[in-house]
Amino acid sequence: MKFKISLAQINPKLGSIEENLAKHIEFTNRAIAQDSKVVVFPELSITGYLLRDLSFDVAFPYNSQFFEPLKTLSKEIDIILGFVEKGEDKIIYNSSMYLSKGEVKSVYRKMFPPTHGMFEELRFFGRGKDFIKIETDYGNATVIICRDFFHPTLLSLAYANNIDFVFAISNMPLRGLKGDTPQIQTTVETASSTYTNFFSFFVVYVNRVGFEDGLGFYGGSFIQSPLGKKIVQAPLFEETLVSETVDTEDIYKKRTVFPLIREEDFSNLLRNLKNIVEEK
Amino acid sequence: MVDLSLNWDMTEKFIENFIEEETKSNGFKHVILGISGGIDSAVVAKLAVKALGKENVFGSILPYKLSSKESLEDGLLVQKELGIYTETIEITEMADAYISKINTDDKVRIGNLLARIRMSIIFDKAREFDAIVLGTSNKSEIMLGYTTWYGDMACGMYPIGDLYKTQVFKLAEHIGVPKKIIDKKPSADLWPGQTDEDELGCPYSIIDQILYLFLEERMTAEEIVSYGFEKDKVTKLLKRLFSTQFKRTFPPVCKISQRTFGHDFLYPHDLFK
Repeated sequence: MKFKISLAQINPKLGSIEENLAKHIEFTNRAIAQDSKVVVFPELSITGYLLRDLSFDVAFPYNSQFFEPLKTLSKEIDIILGFVEKGEDKIIYNSSMYLSKGEVKSVYRKMFPPTHGMFEELRFFGRGKDFIKIETDYGNATVIICRDFFHPTLLSLAYANNIDFVFAISNMPLRGLKGDTPQIQTTVETASSTYTNFFSFFVVYVNRVGFEDGLGFYGGSFIQSPLGKKIVQAPLFEETLVSETVDTEDIYKKRTVFPLIREEDFSNLLRNLKNIVEEK
Repeated sequence: MVDLSLNWDMTEKFIENFIEEETKSNGFKHVILGISGGIDSAVVAKLAVKALGKENVFGSILPYKLSSKESLEDGLLVQKELGIYTETIEITEMADAYISKINTDDKVRIGNLLARIRMSIIFDKAREFDAIVLGTSNKSEIMLGYTTWYGDMACGMYPIGDLYKTQVFKLAEHIGVPKKIIDKKPSADLWPGQTDEDELGCPYSIIDQILYLFLEERMTAEEIVSYGFEKDKVTKLLKRLFSTQFKRTFPPVCKISQRTFGHDFLYPHDLFK
C-alpha cells in the first residue's frame, strides 16, 4: 500500500496552547491539501517543552473539548500530536494522542521521561507504563516519545508486536556541533538505521525546532524505510511541513531478504528475560 | 592537542537563530551591547546584525581615560564595518568623581567599578532604545569567573556563553571579523597593559584544552595531568573554576514560605514567548 505521510516540524510557543492549536489546524489543513493520510507533530506540540511549573496549567484530559477542532479534522486525516495529559489517576503525563476518523483512537504516555543533566521530566510528569499498538488502515503503528527512542527494549516490543510504523515524536535539544551533523542527530539516526534494519519497520521521526531558555531543538525530521533509505528528511532549524509517499511493500521486501522476525522465539525470550529479572 | 573545532557554518546559524528567537520571546525587537574593541563584542555584534538587521542593533562604546587608544579605534571599526548606530560616552568624569574620594590603588576594585559603570549605562541605554542587552562573555571567562559580577556579566542572554575563547577566535575568522581585532592580545583593558593571559597565568590555548577535558570529557584533574598538562596549571584553573561558582548561580534565597523564587517557583525563563 502506498500512501503519504506529512511531518509537521513546528516551533510551538511555550505555554501558548491556543496559538499552538491554531498552528496544528493550519499544518493539518496543509497536509490534507497534499493528500496525506497521516500528519505527525512533535512531542508536546500543543504546549512547548520546557514547561516546568507551567505543566500543571496546560494539562488536559485526552477527552477535553479543547481537541474538538482537531477531532473534526481527523475525519479527513490521521493526526499524531503531543500534549500534557491530565490523567484520570490525578497524575500528569507527557503524552501523545492519535486521532482518526473523528475520534481519539489512542493515547500513549512517555515511558522514559529523562531526569538527569538538563532534563527534569520526572519532576513534573508521571511515568507511562504501557506500550500501545494502533491498528490503522495502513498497518500496525505505535507512537513513542523522544527519549523512548533510545531504549531498544521498548522498540523490541514494537518488533515483537509486528508493528509496521513507529512514530517517534521528539523535542531533542541540540548538543555537539562538531562535524557535518549535530552529534545528537548522528545518535538518533544511528539508532534509526539499526532499528529499521534489524526490526524491519518504518521509523517516522518528527523533531521540533526553535529555542526555549537557550535550548535549541534541531529539527531534521525524517522517514526511514526498513530498506534503509531515508524517504524524506526535513532541514535543520526550520519550521516546515514535508510530505512523502511510503510503500508498505518495503516491509515485505526487507523481511524476505532478511527474515529475522521468522527466526524469533518470543516465548523463549520471555522465559529467559523472566529468569534474568527474577534473579536480580 | 585537544580538538575544539566546531562546524562553523552551523554554529553561526544556530547562534543567529538563538539571538533572533530569544530577542522575540523576551518581547523585544532591538538589542544593545557594549562594544569594547575586543573580539567577543565584535563577534556578538556581527552575529546580531546578521540575525536582526543592522537597524535593530545598538552599540555603546564606553572608554575611560586609561583605556587604550586602540580599543576605541577598534570599537569604531566594528561600528563602521557593521553600520550600526553607536554612541560613544566617555566614563572618566563619572568614574573619577568616585575614585577621587576612595583613595585606592587596588586595580581590581577600580576595574570592577568601571565594568559596573559600563553596565549601568548599557542598561540605561537599553531602556532608552527599548532593547535587550546582549552579553558578550565567552565560556572560558565565565567558567573561570574572569568577569565582573553584575558588571560585564549582566545581560539578557549569552549568545557566545558556551563557546571557549579559542572557538570565538575561529568563529570570528569564519564570519569575517576584521583581522586587526582577531590578531590582538585579549584584554579586559581595565588598566594599561593588562592582558587576560598574564592575569590568568596561562594562554587561552592551554586553558581551553584543560577546561574542555574537565567539562566535556569529564576527566579528573589527575587524568588531565597525565594527558600532558602541568599539574600546577590544572590545579589553579580548577580551583578558580569552583571558587567562582557563585557568579554562575542564583544567590541563595532564605526559604521561609511554601513557594519561593530560586527554590520551587519553577517557571521557565521564556514564559512569555
